[in-house]
Amino acid sequence: MTPLLRMALLALAAALLLPAQGRAASPPGGTLAAPEAFAGIADPEARSAAYFSELSKVLTSPRCTNCHPATDRPRQGDAARLHQPPVFRGPDGQGLASLRCSMCHRESGFKPAGMPGHPHWQLAPASMAWEGKTVREICLQIKDPARNGGRSVDDLIAHIGDDTLVGWAWAPGGDRTPAPGTQEEAKALVKAWAQTGAACPN
Amino acid sequence: MTEPSRRDVLKWSAAGGIALSLSRLPVAMAAAFDDTQTLPGRARPNPAAAGHGRIDAVAKVTGAKLYVSDFRAADMEGWPATTAHALLVRAADATHVLTGIDLGALDGDLKPTVVVTGQDLAQAGLKGPPFYAGDLLCPVGTTPLYLGQPAALLLFERFDAFDRARVLLREKSPLVFGAETGALARPNYAAMRFTRVAGPTPDAPDVYSPLMEGWISPGVFEAGGRPVWQPLPIAEGGQYKKGATYGEAIRAGIAAADPAALVLDRSFRTQSIDPMFLEPECGLAWYDPKARALRLALGVQSPLEAAEALGDMFGAAKEGVRPKSIDTRFAHLGGGFGGRDHTPFPLYVALAAIFLPNRPIRLAHDRFQQFQGGIKRHAFDIRSKVAFERATGRIRAFAADHVLDGGGLANYSASVAVVSATSAIGAYDVPKVDVTTVAEHTRGVTAGSMRGYGVVQTTVALETLMDEAAAALGIDPVTLRRRNLLKTGGRSMAGNPWTVSVRTPELLDKMEAHALWRGRAAAKAAAPAGTLVGTGLALCVKDYGTGADCALGRVELEPDGRVRIVCDAVEMGNGIGTAMANRVAQYLGRVADEVSVARIDAFGALGLVTSGDPYTITQAAQDKAAKNPRWVPAISSATSASIGAHVGTQAAGEAARILLRFGLWPAALAMWGIRKNDPRRFLWEEAYWQDGMLIMSGLPPLAQPDLAAKAHAMGALTGTMAHAFSRWAWAQAAFPLDGFNWAADLDALAVRRGKGPFKVLDRSFVAFPPASYNRIGTAFVSGCGTLVRVEIDRASGAVRVARGYSVLECGHALAPEVVRGQAHGGFAMGLGQALLENLPPFEDGPGNGRWNLGDYVVARGSDLPVHALEVEILPPVAPNEPPKGMAEVVMIPVVPAILNAIADATGKRFSALPVTPDDVRRVL
Amino acid sequence: MPAISLTINGRAHGPIEVRADLSMNDFLREVLGLTGTKFGCGAAQCLSCAVIVDAGDGTSATMPTCVIAATDFDGKAIRTVEGHAKDGALTPLQQSFISHFAFQCGYCTPGFLNEGQVLLERLEKAPIPRAELERTVTEALDGHLCRCSGYVKYHEAVRDVILADPGRFLT
Repeated sequence: MTPLLRMALLALAAALLLPAQGRAASPPGGTLAAPEAFAGIADPEARSAAYFSELSKVLTSPRCTNCHPATDRPRQGDAARLHQPPVFRGPDGQGLASLRCSMCHRESGFKPAGMPGHPHWQLAPASMAWEGKTVREICLQIKDPARNGGRSVDDLIAHIGDDTLVGWAWAPGGDRTPAPGTQEEAKALVKAWAQTGAACPN
Repeated sequence: MTEPSRRDVLKWSAAGGIALSLSRLPVAMAAAFDDTQTLPGRARPNPAAAGHGRIDAVAKVTGAKLYVSDFRAADMEGWPATTAHALLVRAADATHVLTGIDLGALDGDLKPTVVVTGQDLAQAGLKGPPFYAGDLLCPVGTTPLYLGQPAALLLFERFDAFDRARVLLREKSPLVFGAETGALARPNYAAMRFTRVAGPTPDAPDVYSPLMEGWISPGVFEAGGRPVWQPLPIAEGGQYKKGATYGEAIRAGIAAADPAALVLDRSFRTQSIDPMFLEPECGLAWYDPKARALRLALGVQSPLEAAEALGDMFGAAKEGVRPKSIDTRFAHLGGGFGGRDHTPFPLYVALAAIFLPNRPIRLAHDRFQQFQGGIKRHAFDIRSKVAFERATGRIRAFAADHVLDGGGLANYSASVAVVSATSAIGAYDVPKVDVTTVAEHTRGVTAGSMRGYGVVQTTVALETLMDEAAAALGIDPVTLRRRNLLKTGGRSMAGNPWTVSVRTPELLDKMEAHALWRGRAAAKAAAPAGTLVGTGLALCVKDYGTGADCALGRVELEPDGRVRIVCDAVEMGNGIGTAMANRVAQYLGRVADEVSVARIDAFGALGLVTSGDPYTITQAAQDKAAKNPRWVPAISSATSASIGAHVGTQAAGEAARILLRFGLWPAALAMWGIRKNDPRRFLWEEAYWQDGMLIMSGLPPLAQPDLAAKAHAMGALTGTMAHAFSRWAWAQAAFPLDGFNWAADLDALAVRRGKGPFKVLDRSFVAFPPASYNRIGTAFVSGCGTLVRVEIDRASGAVRVARGYSVLECGHALAPEVVRGQAHGGFAMGLGQALLENLPPFEDGPGNGRWNLGDYVVARGSDLPVHALEVEILPPVAPNEPPKGMAEVVMIPVVPAILNAIADATGKRFSALPVTPDDVRRVL
Repeated sequence: MPAISLTINGRAHGPIEVRADLSMNDFLREVLGLTGTKFGCGAAQCLSCAVIVDAGDGTSATMPTCVIAATDFDGKAIRTVEGHAKDGALTPLQQSFISHFAFQCGYCTPGFLNEGQVLLERLEKAPIPRAELERTVTEALDGHLCRCSGYVKYHEAVRDVILADPGRFLT
């Protein structure tokens, strides 16, 4: 073997060269305050609305709005650009006959290609579109059984707090910024909001 | 700066002493590969035979191995069976110093067997050829010269390790950067000025033109590299001061307040574009150190250039890493569009093989890497100043300044700058023109050749300006264009006339008469609520050819009449194989049974030699060199510049004509029993083919296979091999054939009789086009007009192209359905440039390695008026009009036509590309 | 390593051990040497890598292979561009692609062929009115990128196969 042909080298000690690490770990998507943080708000309705405002950091994150789009076409990425290839809602929210969500979004996704997945990957129904809406509009909509898939406010706790498709928003992989906080923290906020009368911010 | 040439193409010299396989090596290595590139192949049906499909069609609908990315070592006859894999690591930072390569993420099985760095190349004496000047791999301790510059080549013996490593390194680059240095400054690639002042009448000689005085560059640059365009007393090149003085006078004339003139002073910006051929670049190579033989399979538009570049790279290399021979095979391309003409990619394929000897190795871009490292279209900043005569609408004077972003390596930037200048006044006749053009070095991804380069940018600026002027002058847009057209025999801005048919009046007539245009007001009035409707048109003429183009063609006739063609042209979808077969069939009465493309190795019998640069050679040097009957100004050209039909088929076409005259015709004479003194002996051009029979009035029809058998039996010609060269005119030579001194538009010829070998003929006479033709901007143009109807959604600003009509002229269309398909594809690409595609410069752009087709949106079927797109091809002006290049011109007018339609719909002119829905919404 | 078995163009393959993180595209191209299925973007945006998956219920759909694990195809039956022609006899859609000069460089052809074939088979089971034909073809092919053709001839080629046999595909 000539001097030019050599085994792979670790060029330089990584410790010397890597950018400064070890900053206080904060989630890349930002944090969510716990319900206790709002204890100081005396007015129960105002406190309830404050829970929702905090929760809305999640609901308005591109992880959520991309698949709660205003049109029949989902969006993608942190920049929320239109989904490519052009997929559309279709009759069941899972795409048109020729481009079904499940063509690419398989049960568990494929990490090497940055492809997310879930057994029930689909678009939220058109009635649940959040894209472009104010926090108040989303709030009124989310608790309206006519527009939230017939869910009670308590059902929302499970939907946001336990649903694994919703849970993907906190572990989306690839270049995607996760939704703020954790699913548990979001659940706590929904629960607190529901228990205080599910008031909406103005 | 030296005198610029149109395409600054490096010539390889034999300094390296490495044998490039321009003739077949004795080993029958990789013959199986050649078979895959020879279509349709003996056993397969040939849809082209009856005009019902492309000659490569069956291979393409059955998934045959065809593209270089389809091949692995096991597919290559005589190669070791397993394939190793190489990974090229590119820099996403060009403002900080590269301090190291941290492969800590690749432990255990994932470790590459070999890591090649810039230091290794320096030690080995390996350097990129001058055309690609710059470090092939950015050395540690240096700031990368540009975003996307390769910095390391990782070589893996096993696919699994490579596959997992590439995912890890995509997530986190192993390149470590230190202190901020800012971007490296380098000189600009070119700065030129093209100025013409016509004489007082159309017939009078020009006062000043590039053709008369040569092409000029300023001699003085500011500290930052910007050219000083003023005619300073110390300008380099002698002639600059004179030209610049005329140029400044033209500008002063435009600026002078004159109520009789309408002066428009406008800026236009065009974006960087990716050619986005669908097959990412790829190559396969194997270095056999015992034989010191390097073997490669590549997919490029410029095979000879790639082979020469490899020879050059290894020319000064140390013994252990310097092959004795380089044998390169070339495959069909999954698209090219210029982006695979003079690409440095093959150099890295070869390096991978050299640093992992004995192991065939594959280097393949994924799409992220193709965006990061592939050649781009130049972004332009254009400032145009035009003076129109208010009374007549005639353009009095035109001045423009072009600034091109050339990115990190020189590549084709100088040529793009020239073409942008010489095309700046489009289809029009302007008596006073002054255009400056500067191609800048930046830290962006290298820009180079791409479909319509230089012309698409300037035509958008010009054709939108023509519409604006028409409105300001109160003249209909078609009428204004018609009044300004350059007529047959008139002089282009370089000072020479176009030497081909000029059909722009017909193109305007066709568009003006079209229902889309006539119905534009009604369509606007009938627009549904919430929708704006507009109609726009644009006209384009585009040069084809580069001023030094050549072709190699070999045509063989078998005793059973079968026809086989071998050529150097590359099939990248352009249909060259089909066009070639159709052109040859005019003479041989049968569509070729096999066409073998991208073959630069099959012409050894011609024994061609070359010297000098065809773009800059002096007349004396050319005259001297031409005394050697084997000398030609250039041996093989890239398949680009729309030269496929015109140039690419020329050698095979002329070879076939000679094969008819000295092969099949003597056979026919013998079969008809026509004797020596019968004057009908010389009427070969009156014979014609019909359904495989040679027809001559008053004589019995003869079947093509019988003629072929007779030609073989009687020792007439059964094969011809030819080379053709064009510098805005064909080189012509005469060859001794059957007692004649036979003249043809060829400069080299070898012939075969019966089953014998090819023997080269010494030309008795040759006339190469004069060296002074190198001052011509272009003499060959074809034209296309495009008319579109757009519908704009007021709420979203989305622009939908609802209908389209393109009318083009290309002389004799060798394969009309291929021409039509090119026009459709050009429409889609033009629409993409107008509305969809955009690569931002620098750190947010493709050099960051994070771009793919989700962010870079190219047109889909739903973006196009698939069922409302009409293409009309004008019939040739005469039955014998030669084919003209058309693959570029068909995309260009689409862009300004869409912008003109948007302006018609919205009343607002956009001056930057692409026009996005947000842009439109903002002005509504 | 998991092992997979699948049927490709009617032929059984496997069990073959594959890495869980090996894409189906690389399984076809690198492991089996079936390079008719292309690699274009690696992100399911061009669909030049799409193959036909035949479900047990007689329906078929295309699936990209570049963003899906090979293991996901365990037990499946797929068709690739290499499997359309039988004993050298081209299908009507292949012939239509050829006679329409539908493709140029041909790199996207396997994806368009598979998608078009799935559409034909779907319409055979569920014919559509003539008036919906153009829209249906455009919708069906819209996931596939082509840089050469402007799509016109691809769409015409698929449409004309349907129009040539209206009783089969149209209501």
